[in-house]
Amino acid sequence: MTCHCTPAVQVPGRRIDADPESVERGLVCLVLTVVELLRQLMERQALRRVDEGDLTDDQIERIGVTLMALEDRMAELREHFGLDPEDLNLDLGPLGPLLPRA
Amino acid sequence: MADATAVWAYCVADRMAPEWFSHLAGVGEYPVSVVTGGPLAAAVSVVGLAEYGEQALARHLEDLTWLESTARSHHAVVEAVGAHVPVIPMRLATLYRDRDSLGAMLEARQQDFAEALGRVTARTEWGVKVYAVRPEPAATAAGEDHDADRPGAAYLRRRRSQLDASQHAQRAALAGAEEIHASLGQLAVAAGTRAPQAPQLSGQSDPMILNAVYLVEDGESAAFAEAVQRVASLHEPVRVELTGPWPPYSFAFVAEAAPAARQ
Amino acid sequence: MSQPVATRRPAAVRYERIALVDLLDRLLAGGVVISGEVRLSIADVDLVHISLRALISSVSTALEHGSEHS
Repeated sequence: MTCHCTPAVQVPGRRIDADPESVERGLVCLVLTVVELLRQLMERQALRRVDEGDLTDDQIERIGVTLMALEDRMAELREHFGLDPEDLNLDLGPLGPLLPRA
Repeated sequence: MADATAVWAYCVADRMAPEWFSHLAGVGEYPVSVVTGGPLAAAVSVVGLAEYGEQALARHLEDLTWLESTARSHHAVVEAVGAHVPVIPMRLATLYRDRDSLGAMLEARQQDFAEALGRVTARTEWGVKVYAVRPEPAATAAGEDHDADRPGAAYLRRRRSQLDASQHAQRAALAGAEEIHASLGQLAVAAGTRAPQAPQLSGQSDPMILNAVYLVEDGESAAFAEAVQRVASLHEPVRVELTGPWPPYSFAFVAEAAPAARQ
Repeated sequence: MSQPVATRRPAAVRYERIALVDLLDRLLAGGVVISGEVRLSIADVDLVHISLRALISSVSTALEHGSEHS
């Protein structure tokens, strides 16, 4: 499993795993990726519930507003750590990426 | 001292002339020379084990700068030979203990190499990479959103139509890639696919949905290139890149033999 | 040798500089590897440290699964 946040070019002679800044960045990336995964799952689940039609308008509104706030918060966190949406993903090798690319 | 050096093999052909690569610096700036074995010849460099031994190599292979420079040097020799004769490229960092070992291997495996050479003679490898182009984010359907007082519901509607659109686009792109591979494969003697390239290495943000290689008769190369242009325009939303001509790295398959009998 | 050298390379669709990713794609997972008692087994991608493997994981996957030959 690899996180896409590791910088693509090595400083010659310097090993990435010895760089503390990079390790921390890797952790942040991992955590945010998991949060993003949960956000996307919740979003899909919410849409399914809306489809099933057993939610009141108020409930739908509350869910929508919450998800909207969550998306904004994620954008803030990404910006704070200088990450693009594409950076938040996990490569599971043969299984492909964790998060859908769209 | 034989222990201090090893022999880096670039490629194999049925003949080799030093003037083909006398203008080139090999890996690590070592000169390029020829080793023969049976009816075959290999382009080689004798390299120092201090930099090319197992541990040193393991370190170097982590260094993208070293890797790039070495890869380009290796490829330059393969290309130089390939400009004159059918060539079987060796993988990067294929080393032999000494010239005699390599010569013995060539002699022992001459049949396999002859088959491989026959397979690639008068043929060229081309690479075709297909990227899915992200669809333009759908303009918010302003007409639908008369619920200014229900932004949450509006948000959910937007997200649903975005997800539907992107799913649709993905399926269309993948189907397009399959069709492209199938139709280009018709024009090739052999075709194959490689795993998609890591975005950090390719620098591409659009997802790669096809990384294909084709072995095409030399006489058909122009037609092949035209076909690539054609299929590129027929299949939206994808972007198609053609690379080549390549020496036949992807079609030079020679099975690893069981260990040779010990003398 | 008096054998005529045929023009092997067709009209090149060549870029100024070959992209490194395309080169590594082929050099690390293509080409011939012949082992045996005489080979120093170091063309193995397994030797590549995890940090580089993270970058070229797709290449090492190709190494494991091989490219198909029809």
